[in-house]
Amino acid sequence: MTRGARGIHKYMQINTATFKILTISVALLLTAFVLSLVVCIVTHTSPQSLLASIASEEIRFAIKLSLATSAVSTVMCIAVSIPAAYALARYDFPGKALVNTIVDLPLALPPVVAGVGLLILFGTTSFGEWLSGLGLVFVLTPFGIVIAQFAVNFSFMLLIMRSTFRGISPRYEYVAQTLGCNPIQAFLQTTLPMSKNGLIAGGIITWSKGIGEFGAALMLAGATRMKTETLPISLYLNMSCNDLELAIAAATILIVISIASLYTFERYVRSTHIY
Amino acid sequence: MIRIENVSKDLGEFKLNDATLQIDEGEYFIILGPTGAGKTILIETIAGIYRPDHGKIFLNGADITDTLPKNRQISMVYQDYMLFPHLTVAGNIGFGLRQKKIAKSEITVKTDEIAELLGVSHLLSRYPGTLSGGEKQRIAIARAVVTEPKVLLLDEPLSALDSRTTERLQEELARIHEITGTTTIHVTHSFGEAFALGDRIAVMCGGRIIQVGTPDDVFRRPNSEFIADFVGVENLFRGKSVVHDDIALVRADGISMVSSSLKSGDVSISIRPEDILVSKKETETSARNSFYGEITEVKNMGTIVRVVVDVGVPFVVALTKQSYEDMELLCGVHVWIVFKASAVHLF
Repeated sequence: MTRGARGIHKYMQINTATFKILTISVALLLTAFVLSLVVCIVTHTSPQSLLASIASEEIRFAIKLSLATSAVSTVMCIAVSIPAAYALARYDFPGKALVNTIVDLPLALPPVVAGVGLLILFGTTSFGEWLSGLGLVFVLTPFGIVIAQFAVNFSFMLLIMRSTFRGISPRYEYVAQTLGCNPIQAFLQTTLPMSKNGLIAGGIITWSKGIGEFGAALMLAGATRMKTETLPISLYLNMSCNDLELAIAAATILIVISIASLYTFERYVRSTHIY
Repeated sequence: MIRIENVSKDLGEFKLNDATLQIDEGEYFIILGPTGAGKTILIETIAGIYRPDHGKIFLNGADITDTLPKNRQISMVYQDYMLFPHLTVAGNIGFGLRQKKIAKSEITVKTDEIAELLGVSHLLSRYPGTLSGGEKQRIAIARAVVTEPKVLLLDEPLSALDSRTTERLQEELARIHEITGTTTIHVTHSFGEAFALGDRIAVMCGGRIIQVGTPDDVFRRPNSEFIADFVGVENLFRGKSVVHDDIALVRADGISMVSSSLKSGDVSISIRPEDILVSKKETETSARNSFYGEITEVKNMGTIVRVVVDVGVPFVVALTKQSYEDMELLCGVHVWIVFKASAVHLF
């Protein structure tokens, strides 16, 4: 028997129970790793100073700005994704494959790159100047945060709504049309309510991604204390100037939001029916 | 009355090719054909889901080719029900009435009435997800009929159901048609359904309408081998026919028979199993075709027994169970089969 064959023989001796223990150990190690990150953050300061930091004016500003910008950008993502996803799910048109690929691109694109693109688009082109003329200034303003969140996150919403609409037969709308609906009424009364779970799941993931958006917002809106300071920006600013307590407060709030939205997302995704 | 003139529609996968059809007021009209024949496109085009590439559609004389589906007063029922899962049964049935802004109290009255008619009153507060196929289809029919449409379109309404439910719903459809008198277009691939329900049948294949007639017409005088094959005419042969003295002499697979269909040259030949008689002795009858052969197969189909007699070519003969038993027809027994010249259909 050669050495190699003996090696294979030994390897074959690993039984099912051993294999099970090995794979479960890896899963447990990963869990421990993630938990240790979270625990390290929330136990870094005392609960009292954590609460005091959360109550500070700066963190309260960051919470409000984060909630407001992410709410607006999520609404924008939903408003744009519903018609676009519907078109991509239901209709054929020239260039559809290319459109599908391009609207998915923000999923893969690093947010900082999207941010640079936004900065150039709104800061240097005549389109950007025209918008500024209308009072819509995106560079270094809270509007910029909204647009940055929108640019990076609409693809998640679009992706979820596209597959939700694809899973619903167009015949529901056909029946509704024969029963007296125009195409928009038919959509609003059948496909849209039937997409409820997709909308909720997509909305939550878009919103929680919006809350955490950093790279693109930093590029376009900058990091100005008490002006464009969202929670992740606050974390970054306070880490840079070594104000650890405020940074930890911002991080803790982001953790709570992540866990809550993940829980809700899982709940709705699991209960999503495809009709 | 609905009239379809030279309607074509190309959806890539499915096609409708130059369809012309007239369906009379109050008629129960069947569109029969195999899967992919273009039946569903045809009725979806009638409903206004698709705009035809060519051709026109008229409803009671008015051109409705460009009318929105919502303004056509044509209702539709699909094979897979398409009940709105987020609405209760009552919500589903009342859907069309709500679009018409009818008063709530009237909607309730009409919903109750139609639910009563279809025997689904006890389900009104349930959601569709929990119902059986038969119940769902009754509700889909109720939803379509309650708006009192001018035309009711049924797309394979019985195909997803088990055979007992199919039978019961088939009777139900006939009853509803009798009560409402609504012009009905029913798409199916089942000749049995077509035969049982249809005043007239249009047979479709490959996006074309290839024959229109009464069920009897289509069954006894199929105008193509495809239809004969499709409607299940069993004694189907090919041969050569020569017409002489108002009678056709047909040779097929080594046997000769006479036919009163006057068609010459290469022909397809069909003889319905019900039109053939069996006797144990050679008897003198007025029937012009008589062959001697051996029984090679017996298929017991309940009340009807199908016996295959090999007379050089196999003939399928249909007998009642009673006469089959009385005559003691078993495999290997030699018999005469007899049929009239008028039973030999050439096409």
